[in-house]
This record gives sequence, C-alpha cells and structure tokens, in this order.
Amino acid sequence: MDAIYCGDTLIVDLPSGKTEEVGFGQEMLEENGPGLAAGLALYREHEDDDPLVIGSGLLTGTTAPSSSLGFVLGKSPLTGEPAVSPLSLFSGAEMKLSGFSMMVIKGDSPGPVYLWLHDGVADVLDAAGLWGRDTWVTTDAVRAEMGEHLVQVVSIGPAGESASKLASYSINYWGSGDTAALGARMGEKKLKAIALRGLGMLDAEEPPGFYDKGKELLAKAPAWNGLNKVGNGLGAGDIDAWLKPIVHRYRSCFACPAACNTFVKYNESPSVMESTGVEEPGMLVTGAASAAWLLSGGWKAEQACRAMEAMARAGIDLIRGARELAGSPLDDSGGIDNAVGGLSGEEEAGWPGVERFSEGLFGPWVPPLVAEDEWLLANQIGYVLGICPIYLLASGIETGGLFGLCSTAAGIELDSSTVAGMFS
Amino acid sequence: MRVKVKPLECTGCALCELACSFHWDEAFSLVSSSVLLYRAEEKKDYMGVIVKTEEDLFLGRPEGAVEMKLGEIQKQGAGGGASAKPILIRQACDLCESAGVEPQCVVICPHGALYLE
Repeated sequence: MDAIYCGDTLIVDLPSGKTEEVGFGQEMLEENGPGLAAGLALYREHEDDDPLVIGSGLLTGTTAPSSSLGFVLGKSPLTGEPAVSPLSLFSGAEMKLSGFSMMVIKGDSPGPVYLWLHDGVADVLDAAGLWGRDTWVTTDAVRAEMGEHLVQVVSIGPAGESASKLASYSINYWGSGDTAALGARMGEKKLKAIALRGLGMLDAEEPPGFYDKGKELLAKAPAWNGLNKVGNGLGAGDIDAWLKPIVHRYRSCFACPAACNTFVKYNESPSVMESTGVEEPGMLVTGAASAAWLLSGGWKAEQACRAMEAMARAGIDLIRGARELAGSPLDDSGGIDNAVGGLSGEEEAGWPGVERFSEGLFGPWVPPLVAEDEWLLANQIGYVLGICPIYLLASGIETGGLFGLCSTAAGIELDSSTVAGMFS
Repeated sequence: MRVKVKPLECTGCALCELACSFHWDEAFSLVSSSVLLYRAEEKKDYMGVIVKTEEDLFLGRPEGAVEMKLGEIQKQGAGGGASAKPILIRQACDLCESAGVEPQCVVICPHGALYLE
C-alpha cells in the first residue's frame, strides 16, 4: 500500500505464535472503504478465529485536524457482538506508522505474550514476566526492554487477565475509552500488550494539495484546553473548575487542536514544571465521562483522580468504574484501592443524567452531544477517516473539508452517505 | 531570526513535527523533522519542544527555554528517545526558506507555542 497507508496487513496467529503479511492495497480501500470499514471486512473474513483487528483511519497520522484515531475491533464480552474501541493519544498514529496498515490477531495464545510492531517488523514475545502486573509496571517494563520511551503500549492489567467484564485496555498509563471490555478479550487471548512504534512515512497521492488543504482546515479548526467542551450540555458539571487546583498542564492527542486531556498532580505541587525525583506525580485525565460521574457523585478532585489512576493501573473501564464509585465518595485517599478492588462491574457505561444510546458497534466514549443518528454518523466518519469523533462533535468542524482531504490523500471520493453505507 | 518556543503553550500535538517532516520529505513521519517534541517522560508530564539549527538546539523546556550549543548536547545527550532519530543528525531548521514559505511549524501550531524572533 502506498497512498497514505504504510505496509501490509499483519496476521498474527496466537496459537502458533506465527505471523504472516497479506496485501493491503487500493483494491481493499475501494471495495470496503478505509479505516474501520476495512477493519470490519477483515473481522468478517477471520470471524471463525474470534479476531481482534487493530488499525487506523485514512487520515490518521497526518496534518488533518485531530487525526489521532486508530481502533481495536473485536467481539465484546459484554454483548457477544462486534464492538470498536479507540486508540487515542499517540497510539493510533504510531500504529499507522508502524509499517503495518492493519493487524488481525487470531485465536488464543497458550501462554502470555505481547506483540511488538515497529518499522514493518512484528515480534510475538513472551510476557510471562509481565502477567500479573498492572498497566503502569507493564508500560515501564516494555519501554525498558525496548530501550525506548516513545513506544506506545496498549496493555491490560489484572482485570483483563481475569477476563473481568469491567476490563478495559489502557494506553500507556492512562484510560483508553474501551467501554466494550476488549481488554477482557485480550486477557482471554493471553495477550498482555501491544507495543507500537512508528518510524514509517505516509505519502499522500497529491502531497502539496493534501498538505495545503489540511493546513487550511487547521487554521479554522477550534482549539481549546480542558474537558468541559466535551461534556458540554450533558449536565456533567464544571469539570475544569473542579480539577483546576491540581491541574498541571493540558495535553492533546496526536495532531489535535483541542487539548482535552488534563494532567493533574497530587503527589507534588501542580506548579512544579521541572522533571523532579517524583516519578509518579499524578495522572492524565483522558475522559470527561468518568470525571463527570465522580464530580456528580460528590468526590473531591484529588481523590477522584487517585481513583481514576487506580482503575487505569488495574485496567478497569474508567467510565463504568467511576459510575459505580460515584455514589460512595471517599473524603481521603486511604481506601481507594479497596474501593476500586471491590467494583462489581454491574453498572453500564454512559454519561450522568443522559439516556444511553443503543450503540451497537460504538460505545459511550463519544459523548451524546447530538441526536442519536448524528452521533452514530460522527462515529462512523471518525473511525473511517481516523479523526477523533469527540472532536468532530465538540468542535462542530465541517466534515466536507475532511472528505476533500481523502481524494488528495488516496484518490478516494467519500461523503457522509458513502461512509454510512459502509456500515449498512 | 529563529524559531523559538513558548513551552507552556505547547499541548504536545506534534503538528509541528508533521509540518516540518512534510517540508523536508513531502511526506508525514516522526523521524525527519528539525523540530522535535520531547515526550520521553510521559508519566511525569515533562514535555517540551526542541528546534535544531546549524549552531545549536533551542530547548523549549517547561521550566524555561534555553539555547544549547551542539557540542554541549553531544556531551549530555538529548533527543527524546532511542528511536527518535537522534536530533544531531537531523536536518537543521532553514526557516522553510528553501520552500519559499513561512516556517510551517509556526504557521500550523494551534496554540501559538512556536514563534519567530
């Protein structure tokens, strides 16, 4: 594959530990569509092997606004149906640049393993020493093993290993938005982690045209800091004001003008900017829904963030965990580990005070800021193009400009109707 | 005139790296730019931006920006991670003059974290 993807499809057969590569070309894109549409075609092709399909969108990893998104697609243990969860922060872009356009992980491994994708090379590595570790220890260990701090580590903790329905994969140290318990599927497969590092190069079909159009879109794209805009209108409360006393900095996902992610410090002063000896000063709050549940439940910001840290470490879905914790706020930090350890997983993911959409493929990581049909379309467009659907909805950015980028990226003409048709 | 950084305005989106890589290669990558997001200490949220010139590196560190001669860097080591192509062998910033356009990292930054001075 040349235009805007980088490399073939990697097939990983976990029972044997062997890998092979199959072509991922223009024919695949034209027949099925890019991004999640191609992922769904691969899922159906390998459905008998209960696969997890990992991939990225057409525009992921480029200068298109908010082109951070990759995906994990698999059968959700919660519904028994296919569901998709996001690869955000830098993990979607690193997948796109890893040298593999898509990856299909088939079957279950006889023992714990992790996958290491880099520069068009894929390794299936022993993870016996990582099994039982939390996601923070796992991320540190994988990065130390590779001698590389920029590796993106999609991993599970004890919750995923025990195939708990509360399980969610974490991205590096932070919550991921996996509300479909695909972390539990990883656990069933004995797949401890997927490590990604991309040194590849993405070529657009019409490079100057693509770059100039992307730059025009970015110049008009709304930028902001904080989580309020994500939960705006949902009765989520003033999350930014609640967090403000412990906010260190705001962080963007890859190529996103919006810095929703909020780094808070509670183990040292949030005003400390130097790299000090405090190795774990705080937590990156990556989701508005989990924060909204704890805020609405009367939690103090510091204790809420410590609880989110504990859930991310354990590989627990922060949204469902926060919803369950919301009714029992803790005034101090002792007891948080016990509270998180005692979660039952009986609550559904969702947003406080908002009726849950019947999402099918897509989960409530994306806030229901609009009517259900618009929300569904934003998810479809986002996962096909690789543009964060939260940004699509919260920014109100015109999708026409993004579709215009697709023709200069790969000679593919898309619009809302054609994207929706990929899911019919 | 050079590209400088207001490090606390940076949100770590890496659009500057992409724009710079496109300037040099007409393609998108994280290995060929003269401007580099330092993100190797993620758990501490210690993040900044490095700009390489012919003579020095501009280190946009969160505790304050400094210029450091290349010789000093060689002694101390820098570059944001083992597989981030070492900053010292990357192209030096040419302010995009070879393309006849404004510095693209400055133009593309959504938060105004890079500027010319």
